[in-house]
Amino acid sequence: MSTTDTGQRRRGSDSRPVITDLMDEDTILAVAGDAWISLVGEDEVLVPIPGEMPGDVLSSWVDVVGPWTGSVVLTTGRATAEALSRALLRESAPEVLDDEDVEDAFGEIANVVGGSIKAALPGPSGLSLPQVGHSPLVRNPADVCRVEVLWRGEPLTISVQGALPPLPVTH
Amino acid sequence: MKILIADDSRVMRQIVIRTLRQAGYDDHDIVEAEDGAEALAKVGSESPDLILSDWNMPNMTGIECLEALRAQGSSVPFGFVTSEGSAEMREKAANAGALFLIAKPFTEDTFKEHLDGVIA
Repeated sequence: MSTTDTGQRRRGSDSRPVITDLMDEDTILAVAGDAWISLVGEDEVLVPIPGEMPGDVLSSWVDVVGPWTGSVVLTTGRATAEALSRALLRESAPEVLDDEDVEDAFGEIANVVGGSIKAALPGPSGLSLPQVGHSPLVRNPADVCRVEVLWRGEPLTISVQGALPPLPVTH
Repeated sequence: MKILIADDSRVMRQIVIRTLRQAGYDDHDIVEAEDGAEALAKVGSESPDLILSDWNMPNMTGIECLEALRAQGSSVPFGFVTSEGSAEMREKAANAGALFLIAKPFTEDTFKEHLDGVIA
């Protein structure tokens, strides 16, 4: 097949999708809701209402590398991340949680949400192991799909955000 | 029967054990492994009757563990419990000899659906 490049046709590298071409907020909410019911508890719901995030926040995320490359990032107050970890651990939660428990549990939620997001994206893609800490930076504000929810009245955000800077604009 | 659960997340191993119990499989010996390499070693030392393994783990992934087992001639029943639920990963798992793939998030019903007939 031969096609003349007139300059008007988008070049291959220009066709990199941004996340809003591939996914919407409702998909993220549905995926997160299923993860919460399975991991946190049958009666645990995420209410899609924004809340005011406290100063001390913690993020957990996994990276997706493929036709779309970026991260699935959960961010909430540190105290809420601890409450989530206790909910996952249930009767085996220790009296005092250490950082390792929170990293493990909060990271695993990102892993499960991220895995479902990855499955809804075009493949093949790779999925990283979860990380916990300060959220990766948003490189391209146009390549972000983000939901804000309340869990037990506490704010939590789920951001599906590209890892690559915007492509240069060509004229 | 003896069930080996391989997952690098301690909390996820506990959730898998809890879900097995909720699904009615509560009278079995459980052995845990933190990654594929430990799972591979424990197949030798513990002789499990079934392996439930995560996919993405440090040191050795679940699929590498399964491939190593089959290369060694082991036919121990092996199923994935993983956040990798895409059609592509399911095909890879089946081609490597996995009996099933349970995608996270799962429920006790998902466990029953895949494990009835596998767990005596």
